[in-house]
Order: sequence, then C-alpha cells, then structure tokens
Amino acid sequence: MMRLLILITSAFLAWGAVDAMAPQAAYADPIPAQQGGNPRARVNIVKKSPHLDRVESRDKGMALLFWLFAAMTVGGALFVVTRRNLIAAVMGMVGSFLGISAIYMMLYAHFLSVVQMLVYAGAIMVLFVFVVMILNRPEDEPVAPSGRAGQVIGGLAILYLVGRLVMLLWKVQPPDPIKALAAPVATPEGHEWGTVKAVGTDLFNGGLFPFEAISILLLVAVVGAIAIARPLHAGQDNEGDIPEGEGH
Amino acid sequence: MGNILFNVGYGHFLVLAAVLFLIGVGAVLVRRNALIILMGVELMLNAANMTLLTFSRMWGDLSGHTFALIVIAVAAAEASVGLAIVVAVFRGRRNVDVDKLTTLRH
Repeated sequence: MMRLLILITSAFLAWGAVDAMAPQAAYADPIPAQQGGNPRARVNIVKKSPHLDRVESRDKGMALLFWLFAAMTVGGALFVVTRRNLIAAVMGMVGSFLGISAIYMMLYAHFLSVVQMLVYAGAIMVLFVFVVMILNRPEDEPVAPSGRAGQVIGGLAILYLVGRLVMLLWKVQPPDPIKALAAPVATPEGHEWGTVKAVGTDLFNGGLFPFEAISILLLVAVVGAIAIARPLHAGQDNEGDIPEGEGH
Repeated sequence: MGNILFNVGYGHFLVLAAVLFLIGVGAVLVRRNALIILMGVELMLNAANMTLLTFSRMWGDLSGHTFALIVIAVAAAEASVGLAIVVAVFRGRRNVDVDKLTTLRH
C-alpha cells in the first residue's frame, strides 16, 4: 500500500517536471510592465504583481498538492469514524484540519487558513484531548449494532446521497469565468485578496453586528461551560478518577 | 480521466467538501460515543466552511470569508459547551454512550 502511494507520487512528480520544462507562453504577467521608465520601478512592479492563478489551471504540481491534501483530509476524517481509540480519533481529526487549512490556502483564503490552524488544530483539539484524558474510558463497541437489512438500506441511501451530491456539485460553473478569475489576481490589489486586511475591511463594513454578537456568544459560552461542568455537590470530585479542581 | 486528475477546478473543492460532510454525518449516525459525535459535527461545520470559501472564490466576493470566520467562532463556542455537557454527563453516570442516555425517554 505504502509502495503504491510512493509510486503514484513519483509518477505525478515526474509528470510535473516534464510539464514544467515545456515552454509556457501562456503564463503571462497579469500586470504589463511599464514601457520605458527606470528599471527599478519595473522590478518593483514585477515584485508586487500577484502570483499566477493556479486553481483553474492545468498545473500538475498544484493538482498533486490538491490530491495530497484531499487525501489527508478525507483520511483523517475516516480515521475519526473508524478508530476505537479516542486519542487516535483526535489525532486523525488534527490531520484532517491541517489538510483543510492547506485547502483553504489553495482557495486564496490565507487569513482563514491560519485561523483554521490556530482555532481548530490548536485550541479545539487541545480541548478534545483534555476531555478524552479526563474520561479515560475505552469504548466498548464503537458502532451501533444494526441488522443486515438496516445495513443494506443505509448503504444504498448513502450511495444515492453521494451520487446526487457529486452530480450536482460537479456541474457547478463559475458565474462569469473571466470575472471570477480576475477578482483575486488580475487587478493591482489582487494579491491582497483574502488577507487579514481585506477580510477585516469586509468584516467591519458589513458584519459589525454579527461580530459583536459573536463576542457576546463567546462570553455566554465560557460562562455556560463553567456552569455546566462544575460539580454539583462538594466532595463529588473525590469519589471518582476526576482530578480535583476540574471545572472551577 | 486526465482532465479530472490534473485540471483541478471548483468542482473538486465542492466535491471534497461534500465527502467531508458525509463522513461527518456518518460519524454522528454510526458512532455512539458522545465525543466522536461532537467531532462529526465539527467535520460538518468545516465542510460547510470549505463550500463557503469555494463559492467566495468563485464569485470574487469576500463575504464568504466573513461568514466562515463567524462560523469558526460559533463552532468554538459549540465545542466548549458540548464538551462541558459531556464532562457533566460523565460525572453522573461514568460513561458517555449516547445509547444509554435514556432517562428523558419517558
């Protein structure tokens, strides 16, 4: 299995190398260099020009990276569903979130990618590991028991749902391909698309009320979590394997 | 076939999000541990976020990023409260098997 994976990866890489060596006239600079002018300004413009759009291109390396991170994401998620060991499930979840973060980066959502890594892989997963350590009970049976008929019907329903979703989503086309591709890259401001500045400007221009509501929600969640998780009676902590001081 | 493999477009991202969402649904429906069910919910929220970002990219509109940011904040709040509930349930009955939480059934 591992050998097969390595073989596929090296084949992809070889293809990408051959592709990169071919002359590529199509990769034109989105911002035309100024005619004349001093060379320093020209260098400046070239340096500031946004990188090429790779999402809708035939770049083999990008395709390889997409499949790699997609496999990481789906594999981690499958790990969550199938593992009996809770720590293994959490680790699969971390891998899945890192893959999702890389996929966000491919979608030019740089800020969201970093937030995903910090909040999910950093904070929420640490919280999950804490709770798993507190619980410290291996699961007896990971999967709910069901009869043969239920399994068959469930499998068919899942296949039908997957098929319909894939058929629907595969046909999605950008509304105006030129405009959609032009938005992030082909304008002088294109390289700022999806950065902290752009997202912050959008957030505080249109989403100020949701932003404030989120702050209140987080406050309520913190207070609620402490109120729920604290022991009801004094001395309840001492009877079990829950460490003292938990939830205070 | 080569087109699907090498020409990565928006459809790829959307189908990946759909697969992720379905795996999350599977975790919620099949597993009985409350922690794994919470993780399945997180997976579904992430799949929705990925769809939002893909469409945001497709339309060249940054509102999807704002929406995804708010979804992440709500997911963090949901995870903290959900885990607190799991800890409280575990305190009372020493396991977190959702099939055994039948006190409210009557």
